[in-house]
Amino acid sequence: MRVAVIAGSISGGFRIAREVETLAGVELFVVICNVGKRSPLLRWSRELLSALKSLSWWTLTTKACSYARRGRLIILHRPLDDATSIERLGALRCDVGLHAANVIYREPTISSFRLGILNAHIGILPKYRGRCVVEWSVLHGDPTGVTVFFIDSGIDTGDRIVLREFIPSNRWKSAGALKKMLFGCDGRLYRKAVEALMQPGVQLEENDISKGHRYYVMSKMFKHIINKKLTDRGNLA
Amino acid sequence: MDLETALSRPVPLDRCEEILREVLLGRRAELRKSWRHFISSEGLGALGSLAKEVESFLSGQNTLRDWRFAASFAWVNCDATFQDCLYAIALAGKVEYELSDTSPPPLLPRDLNKLSRTERMEVLCDRYRCPLNIGLPGESEVAEEILRQMMVQDRAKLEAGAEFDVDMVLLKLNLAGVRALMTRDLRYLDALNYFYELPRRSLTRMRANPRFLASWLCIYAQLLCTLDW
Repeated sequence: MRVAVIAGSISGGFRIAREVETLAGVELFVVICNVGKRSPLLRWSRELLSALKSLSWWTLTTKACSYARRGRLIILHRPLDDATSIERLGALRCDVGLHAANVIYREPTISSFRLGILNAHIGILPKYRGRCVVEWSVLHGDPTGVTVFFIDSGIDTGDRIVLREFIPSNRWKSAGALKKMLFGCDGRLYRKAVEALMQPGVQLEENDISKGHRYYVMSKMFKHIINKKLTDRGNLA
Repeated sequence: MDLETALSRPVPLDRCEEILREVLLGRRAELRKSWRHFISSEGLGALGSLAKEVESFLSGQNTLRDWRFAASFAWVNCDATFQDCLYAIALAGKVEYELSDTSPPPLLPRDLNKLSRTERMEVLCDRYRCPLNIGLPGESEVAEEILRQMMVQDRAKLEAGAEFDVDMVLLKLNLAGVRALMTRDLRYLDALNYFYELPRRSLTRMRANPRFLASWLCIYAQLLCTLDW
């Protein structure tokens, strides 16, 4: 299976790649896109900074060189939905894309991948779509977790769910820490999702959006409630 | 393949009712003191005969009416104007309505968005002449669209300090508030929380429409002392 990590930075891309590259039968590419149409100077200084911050800049550099030598590191200079970028993505003939960039995908980009692009959404679908879904789940007393699904151009409305994993929130004392932990599960869950997709006769679940709601940014008042709730529970634990 | 991975199981979490109640009542107490920062004395004057009622409603003890009974209706007609009906609800008063056997044809969000700004105001005020209708299950698509617009486009404009359509934003806040009163959907309440928390400079611009502003604050005051979310 040909898989491409679509990342906003080299360090972000290789963080995901590290989890997926050892899967047997996977040919992995890392596509770095220019999020926010940054100038080359700004873009590369950010890359350098994030590589230095990761404290593994040497590993990262060698890894990037190794991928580049094999033609598996693709750096896009134009926005992801630009015709030239779509052409380059199409030429990779990938089956699956793994979302790791802060971008909104349009239909032509999604269609560049045979099966589509996977997203590790930090909420349980179909019930929780949109933003602040971790906080809303805690507020409603619902389980937290991550859902890996194929995106479409809507907000968490893609209709095929590959897997979901419930991850308890009771060890975490703040919404920020809980979200950071859930975001960090993406590489591991992408690996599981790709593994599942390689199984013959894989059954995907329908993301029936009528069974949930779209959520939005949360007020300071409600965020305060969530943090108080998590702290109280953390103290009890 | 089993969708839920083996190690994970849903963890039942208790509801945050107690904390929620405490925080909502705290905000109600704050609103009791701060509402005069929103509505100027000129604005209060513009309310005419309603000024005294609004003043005592916002400054006084918690008053609310349970509007959930109306959510089971098919459609409601009333003779009063949109503004009069809205104030009856906002001040926890009595709404004179008649039950209707038929509801108007559905309003699709995409059709609503095709209209000009003036037409959209007219359509919304006409359709929800009795604002209780926004809380009916059949109106959920329009209500969701109103919520989306508020929390995406309008919020972004207000946060950036950009120009915004005061009348339209306030109309949406009022309708969202009525929906929250009837459905107890926390997302609609939180949209009102979010707008209340926006920088004061954005909110003072809402003084341009004191009638809608006052009704919004009265509905918000009711929501804050609603205990059964």
